[in-house]
Amino acid sequence: AFCLFSDKDIIYMCHFNGAVKGKVLITNYRLYFKSSDADVTVMLDVPLGAISRVEKMGGASSRGENSYGLDITCKDMRNLKFALKQEGHSRRDIFELLFRHAFPLSHGLPLFAYVTQEKYAENGWNIYKPVEEFRRQGLPNNKWRITFINKSYDLCDTYPTVLAVPFKSKEEDLRRVAAFRSRARIPATGGGYEGDEYQNAELVFLDIQNIHVMRESLKKLKDIVYPNVEESHWLSSLESTHWLEHVKLVLSGAIQVADKVSSGNSVVVHCSDGWDRTAQLTSLAMLMLDSHYRTLRGFQVLIEKEWISFGHKFASRIGHGDKNHADQDRSPIFVQFIDCVWQMTKQFPTAFEFNEHLLLTILDHLYSCRFGTFLYNCESAREQHVRSKTVSLWSLVNSKMDIYLNPFYTPESGRVLYPVASMRHLELWVTYYIRWNPRIRQQQQSPVEQRYKELLALRDEYLKKLEQLQLSDSSTSSRLANSPTANTSSTTSTPTQQYTHLQTPF
Amino acid sequence: LHQHCCKIFTFLLTVGVTLSFFFICLSPGEIVVNEVNFVRKCISAESNQDDPWGKLICTNFKVSFIPQEAPPKQKSQLSHLLLGEHDIPLTCLEQVVTVNDTKGKKKVLGSNQKLKFNPTELILYCKDLRIIRFCFDEAGPESARKVCLAIAHYSHPADLQLLFGFEYQGRRYHECKVNGSTPRGGMQTPIFDRPSDWDREIKRTSASEWRVCSINESYAISPSLPEYIVVPVSLADQDLKQYSLYFTDRRIPLWCWNHPNGSALVRMACIVDPLHQRKIDQRIFTAITKSHTQRSEVIRSDLDKCLPNIQDIQSAFVKVRQICVLDPFEESEERWLSSIDNSRWLEYVRAFLKHSAEIVYYLEGKNVSVILQEEEDRDLNCVVSSLVQLMLDPHYRSLIGFQSLVQKEWVMAGHRFLDRCNHLKKNYKEESPLFMLFLDCVWQMMNQYPAAFEFTEAYLTVLSDSMWIPLFSTFLFSSPKQRAQHLMDFAKNKAIPQGEDQVVYFPPVWEWSQQFSIKDQTLFNNPMYVGKGAACVQNGEVKTFRRTKKTYSSTLRGTATLMRNGLKEGEDTLTRRGSLVSELKSEFSAVKDESPSERFFRDWFSRPADQQGLLIPLSMPSHVALWKLFFLRWVPEACIPRGGPITAYHKLSQLVDEIEILQSQLRQYKGPSPGNTPLPSPSGPPSDQRRMYFKASYPDDPATTPDFFTSSFPFTPVGNLCRRSVYGTPISKFLNGARIWLSTETLANDTV
Repeated sequence: AFCLFSDKDIIYMCHFNGAVKGKVLITNYRLYFKSSDADVTVMLDVPLGAISRVEKMGGASSRGENSYGLDITCKDMRNLKFALKQEGHSRRDIFELLFRHAFPLSHGLPLFAYVTQEKYAENGWNIYKPVEEFRRQGLPNNKWRITFINKSYDLCDTYPTVLAVPFKSKEEDLRRVAAFRSRARIPATGGGYEGDEYQNAELVFLDIQNIHVMRESLKKLKDIVYPNVEESHWLSSLESTHWLEHVKLVLSGAIQVADKVSSGNSVVVHCSDGWDRTAQLTSLAMLMLDSHYRTLRGFQVLIEKEWISFGHKFASRIGHGDKNHADQDRSPIFVQFIDCVWQMTKQFPTAFEFNEHLLLTILDHLYSCRFGTFLYNCESAREQHVRSKTVSLWSLVNSKMDIYLNPFYTPESGRVLYPVASMRHLELWVTYYIRWNPRIRQQQQSPVEQRYKELLALRDEYLKKLEQLQLSDSSTSSRLANSPTANTSSTTSTPTQQYTHLQTPF
Repeated sequence: LHQHCCKIFTFLLTVGVTLSFFFICLSPGEIVVNEVNFVRKCISAESNQDDPWGKLICTNFKVSFIPQEAPPKQKSQLSHLLLGEHDIPLTCLEQVVTVNDTKGKKKVLGSNQKLKFNPTELILYCKDLRIIRFCFDEAGPESARKVCLAIAHYSHPADLQLLFGFEYQGRRYHECKVNGSTPRGGMQTPIFDRPSDWDREIKRTSASEWRVCSINESYAISPSLPEYIVVPVSLADQDLKQYSLYFTDRRIPLWCWNHPNGSALVRMACIVDPLHQRKIDQRIFTAITKSHTQRSEVIRSDLDKCLPNIQDIQSAFVKVRQICVLDPFEESEERWLSSIDNSRWLEYVRAFLKHSAEIVYYLEGKNVSVILQEEEDRDLNCVVSSLVQLMLDPHYRSLIGFQSLVQKEWVMAGHRFLDRCNHLKKNYKEESPLFMLFLDCVWQMMNQYPAAFEFTEAYLTVLSDSMWIPLFSTFLFSSPKQRAQHLMDFAKNKAIPQGEDQVVYFPPVWEWSQQFSIKDQTLFNNPMYVGKGAACVQNGEVKTFRRTKKTYSSTLRGTATLMRNGLKEGEDTLTRRGSLVSELKSEFSAVKDESPSERFFRDWFSRPADQQGLLIPLSMPSHVALWKLFFLRWVPEACIPRGGPITAYHKLSQLVDEIEILQSQLRQYKGPSPGNTPLPSPSGPPSDQRRMYFKASYPDDPATTPDFFTSSFPFTPVGNLCRRSVYGTPISKFLNGARIWLSTETLANDTV
């Protein structure tokens, strides 16, 4: 990243602290603001990719203090207002810089992912290998076969190159089916569970609304949480956004799919194009059915497979680097999926290997354009440059895995996880949607998780101490010490030596 | 004792005792009143295939159902020592409803009533939110009718002394006496019925300008105040006696707590005589100012003016209960959030938390003493004073500290438990779940600061359930005087030697071994608790935070600066207007013109929270949640199988148990023994001393989530919530639970 603009005095019109004087720094990746008043410390760090709209407010004739400046709308649930002096051309300069670098694609510039030179220990692009993933699921077998029919994306340009299709289906049949389906998207396997191909289909309508409804719903949610949380009739206001209701319908749809699959039926999941609702339902159902996807790496595979490879139109839904903020193709479908995953982690605190921090990181980089992972609409468009020229988000994650691990995780392979899709249990994800509110203490981790990690460290410290004591014994008596925790026999021995410095009752 | 009832049931009594002798567990003093066989307990609304059959019994303590076939004993959940899985204490019954399905009749039964039809079923609405339904399709109609009448009759005791505790504790006392009892049953919770308990509290909080006053000994001044109270040293007994005449119920101001900065929390009733108001106010305020080490001013918060009243709270609770357990599950899904909103329960919880935080700001941030004032000083003041202390003083977040807080601010301060719980089911207008509201507020704080409390939400839930078991002196009386009188009469009647300690012969709820085994009581322990002297790892070294009593004053330094800033900028909004009294306003202004208290809160929230310091709950509506374990534990549809918070608690509990074993091993560690004698392996503490419910796991333990883990743990929804699903039948409109449960008074007189 390089600096484009720095150290200019600016006033940040904070919704919480009022006008805050400070310095602004703009690079080709981020907008950074720090207050100069010793009294209030306000810091802003916004990736330009998160900006959906930049507008000038006030004109030459504007009266009133701080009415002249910039109004920035972000994709991540916040709005920022800056006031500037009318003299000079600082507003024009900042506006043009922001406009150009927040929307590089509208200006013939590359996305930041192509500019950055970040290096990581692990290459995240290797996380998902389709044939290996099919093999893990026991494919091919006598019901399903792997086809390379789409090798050069000539069957369906929005599908991946490697597909699993019913064993008996002939290549020419697939081509004929493709001709009939919307954008040639033939049915292919999601969960990879054995079944009777596509026969005995039972039609279930799930009543889930379209992408426009979801977009409006999230917009309404933003209205009631930013800048201030609606004080009166909060729950009624929340209900009227319908956001949790949509989350509920998606989750309960996925539960129905998972239930059918686990009882031995095959399920064809589809929506009009098969890249929005379908991706949500298949990936959530797979998360419920297959514990592998609940691991840190497995979850990355799931996103790569069901979202990225199967052609969720990230570019259109998010609008990376594009100035057209009112584009009707934009919709928070992926955010909704991550919200559903979060709801599941809340109901089953020990079932997922990853923690909330991973989900927050994924959503932050969904917009940031720092990684190649969520760019483009489908594999065919991505193939040409992304893997070689950009860094994968999973490189970042897998190079520092421990901060994304859930200490409570208890692997239970083969367990099918059915969340309760009821309003009684669905909660607003406040640590995501209301995280910009300074009234809420910024926490890296949930307090429960943090406390558990502290206790784990304490346990290890005691184990080390005990080991040291036993080692110093064995040097004189050459006896191997028993594993301390594996022994809880109730032998009572009079303590001859008190380690007073360790008497630490809880 | 049961004279007039016995007339009706004499013959049944004799039969009952002999028949049920081998099946029912009777507590000392418990007798079977009536019973009926071949009863079906409805456990699911749809099919009756799994419904257990058995005998329904009414005793003078409980309604009991004894299944014919013993169900497989469910492991690892809270089992009550006196109450079985299917038992309901009579005091826990809110409403007894009989139904005749074929005739389309129903009747809410009260005491001494007639029933003109043979009931086909009995629905029991319980105060702990259970709804239990029995069907008599195979039972003798006459016996069924009699059992229903007996249950209705015995659940409406004519007199307080008829509550089972008075029979039970007498027997228990004499039985225990044989073994000899330790003073106060070994109980550590101070009761505040003696000067020493108050003295200790004065010393603990360094309230040197306050003294224990005994003018109310033998309740000479006020029947609702405790015998010993704490007052400013500058006020003489004679003055206090004189002032007492002007207060409601002669309740002079009561000291609650002292902040290390010298400011005090005081509660008082209203002054009855408006002519003397100014004069008395002035004297009280001067005395409190004198007792402040920095002679700071005093402000007063009139809780009647800014908080919901007891009727509001009651109606909110009735609504939220209705939404949670009565409304059909699926149909209420769509409007769930707005229904909860419209009940206003969470709004009230929030109001109390917010107001208490505001008081904390005055004590901590502004260094002034606060008087909580309420008409009678026996309801809202109990909630607010205890919440304020819970936020400011970590001592009250320990188990013993919390119990002493309830004892001090509720039981001894004269909260009308008898009336508010409506144990005698006489005056519904006085009923109000204030203590429940307090427990919900505590839960909200616990939810936000999970490592700050020594106890768990299971403890709070069990405590709320204990209100409906009439065995403890804690929840049975409306004032200290009433308690003393009843217990004195009781002692006389039961031949308990004079001078015996009330706590020994009629123990409070705090003696938990009355209800649960030592093992089950470990469910109350929060493995996350960061208590005094908690060990932690710093830079790879185990360190112990040894804390002095006044650790919480560490928060003071920061706030003192803040206050100076506040004053410097002239933001002091307190109005004085020549009066000593500054009325406390609770208004939350818009962001830009931030009030000093908002600034105080913002400053506090910008720093990391110290679990052993001041804790302020977030009171934004988005951060006040429905207490699911309490409200939804019986709802089968809302139960998350093999999920919920218990799965994390399980792992925490195992880890802490392992740590405690290691600690004990390190303490007991012996050096190498001389010679070649094998070294006894260092052991953990004996299992009865282990504090954790779940024991450390072994490497070869299967790592699966036990089946009994549900979001309702340690409770089970099976058979505890049977709503009727009889839509479309003529009876359905009668059986709309809402109408039955909500309009107690109107329906009680509704005869069929």
